[in-house]
Amino acid sequence: MDPVRTTIMNNRFTAIVEEAAAILYRTAHTTFVKLVQDFQCALATVDGDIFAYPNQSGVAVFIGLPLQAFISKLDKESLKPGDCFIMNDPFSTEGIVTHLMDVTIIRPIFYDGKLIAFAWAFVHASDIGGSVPGSISPSFKEVFQEGLRVRPVKLYEAGKLNTFVRDMFFDNSRIPEEIWGDFQAMLSALHSLDRRLAELCERYDVCNVLAAMQDVLELSEIKARSVIAAIPDGRFAFSDYLEGFDQGQYSYINTVMTVDGEEIYLDFTGTDPQIPTAYNIVSGPRTHPYIVQGLISYILTIEPDAPRNAGLLRVIKTCSPKGTLINANFPAAGGSRVASGTRVYDTLMGCLNQALPGGLVAAGSGMVGIIVVTARDPLSGRNRVSVINPLCGGSGARNGIDGVDGVDVRFGALRTVPAEIIEVETVMLVREYGLLQDSRSPGKYTGGAALVMELENTGIEAIMTVRGMNRFHFRPWGVKGGLPGRLGEVILNPHLSDKASIGKIDVLTMKRGDVVRITTPSGGGFGNPLERDVREVSSDIRRGYLTRESASRDFGIVFDSNGDIAEDATALKRASIQPVLPEFNLGWERVGYDKIWPADIRARLAVKVLAEEFGIQNHLMARVRERLTKRGSCVTEGDLDQVLTQELEALAGPAM
Amino acid sequence: MLRIGVDIGGTFTDFAAWRNEHELVYTTKVPSTPPRFAEGFRQGFERVLEFVKPCRDEVMYVVHGTTISTNTVIERSGPSIALFTTKGFRDILELQRLRLKRPLNINEQRTVPLVSRDFVYEIRERVDGSGNVKLALDEDAVRDATRAAVKAGAIGIGVALMHSYRNPMHERRVRELIHEVAPRVDVTLSVDVWPKIGEYERAVISVLNAYVRNKMDAYIGEIEVYLRSRVSSGRLFITKSNGGLMAAEEARRLPVHTLLSGPAAGVAAVQCLGEAVGKANYLAMDMGGTSTDISLIRDGVATVSNSAEVGDFPLIMPVTGIEAIGAGGGSVAWINSGVLKVGPQSSGAMPGPACFMRGGSLPTVTDAYLASGYLNPSNFLGGSMSLDKSASEEAITKVATPLGLSSIAASEAIISVATSNMVAAALPYLAKYGIDPDELTLVVYGGNGAIHGPLLADEIGIPRVLVPPTPSVFCAYGGLVSELAHDVVRTVHGSKITENLLSETLKDLENEARVWLRAQAEENQLIGVKVEAIAAMRYAGQSFEIDVSVPSALAGIAVAESLFHDEHQRLFGYCNRQGPVEFVELRVRIKGALPAPAFANAQPVKGENPVVGHRTLHIGGRVHKDCAIYDRMKLSAGASLEGPAVIEQNDATVLVPDRFAAEVTSLGNILLKRKA
Repeated sequence: MDPVRTTIMNNRFTAIVEEAAAILYRTAHTTFVKLVQDFQCALATVDGDIFAYPNQSGVAVFIGLPLQAFISKLDKESLKPGDCFIMNDPFSTEGIVTHLMDVTIIRPIFYDGKLIAFAWAFVHASDIGGSVPGSISPSFKEVFQEGLRVRPVKLYEAGKLNTFVRDMFFDNSRIPEEIWGDFQAMLSALHSLDRRLAELCERYDVCNVLAAMQDVLELSEIKARSVIAAIPDGRFAFSDYLEGFDQGQYSYINTVMTVDGEEIYLDFTGTDPQIPTAYNIVSGPRTHPYIVQGLISYILTIEPDAPRNAGLLRVIKTCSPKGTLINANFPAAGGSRVASGTRVYDTLMGCLNQALPGGLVAAGSGMVGIIVVTARDPLSGRNRVSVINPLCGGSGARNGIDGVDGVDVRFGALRTVPAEIIEVETVMLVREYGLLQDSRSPGKYTGGAALVMELENTGIEAIMTVRGMNRFHFRPWGVKGGLPGRLGEVILNPHLSDKASIGKIDVLTMKRGDVVRITTPSGGGFGNPLERDVREVSSDIRRGYLTRESASRDFGIVFDSNGDIAEDATALKRASIQPVLPEFNLGWERVGYDKIWPADIRARLAVKVLAEEFGIQNHLMARVRERLTKRGSCVTEGDLDQVLTQELEALAGPAM
Repeated sequence: MLRIGVDIGGTFTDFAAWRNEHELVYTTKVPSTPPRFAEGFRQGFERVLEFVKPCRDEVMYVVHGTTISTNTVIERSGPSIALFTTKGFRDILELQRLRLKRPLNINEQRTVPLVSRDFVYEIRERVDGSGNVKLALDEDAVRDATRAAVKAGAIGIGVALMHSYRNPMHERRVRELIHEVAPRVDVTLSVDVWPKIGEYERAVISVLNAYVRNKMDAYIGEIEVYLRSRVSSGRLFITKSNGGLMAAEEARRLPVHTLLSGPAAGVAAVQCLGEAVGKANYLAMDMGGTSTDISLIRDGVATVSNSAEVGDFPLIMPVTGIEAIGAGGGSVAWINSGVLKVGPQSSGAMPGPACFMRGGSLPTVTDAYLASGYLNPSNFLGGSMSLDKSASEEAITKVATPLGLSSIAASEAIISVATSNMVAAALPYLAKYGIDPDELTLVVYGGNGAIHGPLLADEIGIPRVLVPPTPSVFCAYGGLVSELAHDVVRTVHGSKITENLLSETLKDLENEARVWLRAQAEENQLIGVKVEAIAAMRYAGQSFEIDVSVPSALAGIAVAESLFHDEHQRLFGYCNRQGPVEFVELRVRIKGALPAPAFANAQPVKGENPVVGHRTLHIGGRVHKDCAIYDRMKLSAGASLEGPAVIEQNDATVLVPDRFAAEVTSLGNILLKRKA
């Protein structure tokens, strides 16, 4: 690694990919791509290691995405300058595409007739056909409902458009011109990557450029190794549940993290089999950034200047069994995979909390929901589909820093739509948009507050869907004595006597005057609340985040007759309390569930069901889970094996 | 008539002065005197007066650029203020549209608002998206809130109520009620600053204005008192973030318009220079000690940003678009994970680079310039400061030794890394506008612009570099050429656009703008007035609008739409002429020109040999022995020279890399051109 060339070339590579990402963003057509920035582009070595990845625009979840599955199947001899391969099939690309909507184009880059790199880009296409506009519904059972699926095929051959391939996408989308516009934006970005890399070779000589690709990968690897080396060695396990689409459908995600010197090994064995909803992730056999986002975030938190490339992933080895929720097989649906990705992230944080002396962070709200309203447009008189807002909820408290209110850090790139624009563009009136009092979960450092959004339908009828709600049953956990966060809640007509808590919104029809009040989950607390600085408690009360009642109950605060904090009395009271300070406080709902399903037994259920033939896995899982949960007592290995055998027999039907 | 430009920076306060019907411009600089900036102003101003010797009753326009308001926000040194907002939106300042800057950092935190949550008061009232009052204003709630805020110590109040951009009645009534209870409290209504849809951003501008108001008011007041004591008919103007000027009274009332004025004056001067040299694409580059600002001037017009930020707070008014890069002459070189890095840490003005001999011992970019032969240790800033080359070399050893490089090789590496830092920001910035470096002329100024600008141009393929006559006081020079300028806006988003609405709104806005202009200066002081109408438009369903310049208020919808399609094609490479188009907002920008110097023809210089010495230059790994060193004062218009060379002048040094040749243009600029 050349100490000067590495920095200069890292800057040059960064400029090239940032420029291309800016081009992609600037020229993309669809609102979704513009608003949520769900796109990206990057440069990879001829071996498929991404060595340069943008930071200023686009998504961060694919830093270091391995392109080997695509490259290994190529006939490199037949590649020509100007070739562009288009693909959106997760299964044959082994997770280069993680779900169908992420249409991907890869272009080989040549210099002096020699292949020197690959340029990669994707956009989340706003519609690729399927059963619903937008191609995503959590309720989908199979990938076929999600639209067109295409293995890598040449969209351009030596710069010449294959109209057949283009028309295939055209003919299978509800909005062909728009998505073709997005594809052209990708092609412009790829062309820019190609041109700029060639210019760099011209300026610095191709040998230097090729060597520098390895330099910057090595630099990232060195930084990642230094971060992992500082984590004490050991084996750390953590598990959590994704709340599925159906009642009681809690999918188990089981993570064992082994820290060994400068490397980390993640074993997801014991994670539930894939499910017939759109929550599945296709991640392939290699270390996939979508699965290890939590570790990438941790490395970049400690080493923010590390180049964002595949070097970061070299220190992380994973085992994600095929056929599980996080490494799903054909024909799994995956439109709403972000929900599972969030829970995997939580389990990684759970492991890091145990590994790092003093801990790291409590669980964040653990969901990201998008509110969409379909109603009559007051201006045109026609029905219109509007994205109202993303909904998330506070982050977990950090070791030394309170949580972020209203949004989890991991989803911090999202931006809300102003209430005034919602009111001008839709029939919804925003009655309240703010933070919920007493929702900063108690701890030495408090969790990020829950967000409240209260909407009133002022039109004739409005249909509201919210995709991605979660943590309505199991709380975001607290750490080292910090209390868990609150659950999400949806109330219809809170101002009326017949107000009703309606649980997660799937599809909600609102009459004129109906009011819906959505409260997100909040992040968990960190550390003993009795150790919270009294001045912080005082400030939280003054600023209206905390009531005196809660301060007294949760933080051991004593008030004098003027209503001011009595410091001496508070100190005495705090000293008299013997707090219970569990490493993790999962909340009583989860503790109760764990009494029925101890971690090792639950993992055993997942493994056993995964070992059965695919066609019966889901039925078997549902029947065993429901039967033993209903029974209510602690499941032993014997119980489990017995019920598994019985249910397998029942599913097989009577012997002929 | 005299016109004097004053620009206060962190290190120096710069002055430029010009007398009507003269070509000569006098410039000078004095050290800034933070935090009592007025002191430096007076010192330099006295020096200017001594030189220009104003006649009795000679009219004097003083144009002043200040970063007092900006510093107040960044240092958070403003007073306690309150915000009054609509019930249901108490957390408007806390939530900040939820966005976080670095979502990959587990410990990321949101910017702390300028108003603490206990100083935010919810007022029961509601106006809906059509501007209808849905819930009457609770006047007692306003009175109670005012009493509570004043009791808590608030000396200013920002007011931002829902949909006030469409119906400002409630906001205006709130101001009356506040003054009924507390007549001395400063009130800023969001609609008075910028009546645009978007409640968070509008609340922020009312808060920012309230936050910086008393400091700016005190400072401008102090300057005005001083000016009155020294000159009989002086008139003070303040530089705005949009590159224009406003009267001092206006600046005391709405100082929010000065928050990004620092770099804007320089860009206005580049635009003016561009008008004299020829309409084209320019990239302005202002490189000082701690940072470098770049800004694009496209077809002769400075780019406008409606989404700028100050101290992490959004500014939605149109301002000159600037990209700040953390690379300056004081940027420090260091080693991290075995590789060489330069910046973002800077040695600043104090202690400064090692060669300044002010106690700095860390290797900086300026030390690398000196070691590479670009700077003359005995003729820096016209000889007013001497540089210690051995101190630079010693400092550079700190990175050279661990890297196993010679001192010279390490110097070149520091400069190359600094250049690559700029490249990493400049190329994506240009890509956002779809501009290729090949189409640009780089205009360099600031203390280090003329050294590093040519290196940047060489690296990314900018074919021309223009160095104005006095690059280090170019922002003060901007004060001599900039115009009074103001923007007014009306949100039409959500209204059905009709020919009548379009033309009437634009006419109303023009009237509003003309009223503003009359309040800034007497009509006979202006030598020209320009009015530009702008429509922010988009295709239905898009969430991003683009600005379209409409030829007149009466142009009509069809013309505006046609221009929108053209602009969309130009910016994004496609358009859909059949697609339905929405109007989001209408704006008018008015400009009133005060007398200003023209870029004068350069004075001929006779006889003297411009070559004043020879030095060895190290540029990009190549050694160039015996390169000619020129004195700019001895170069006549039309003179030309070949790189590698250095041109020294009183306030700056120009590096001519080996791939460039330089010539002095008829206007006295130095133009570097890439050799064929």
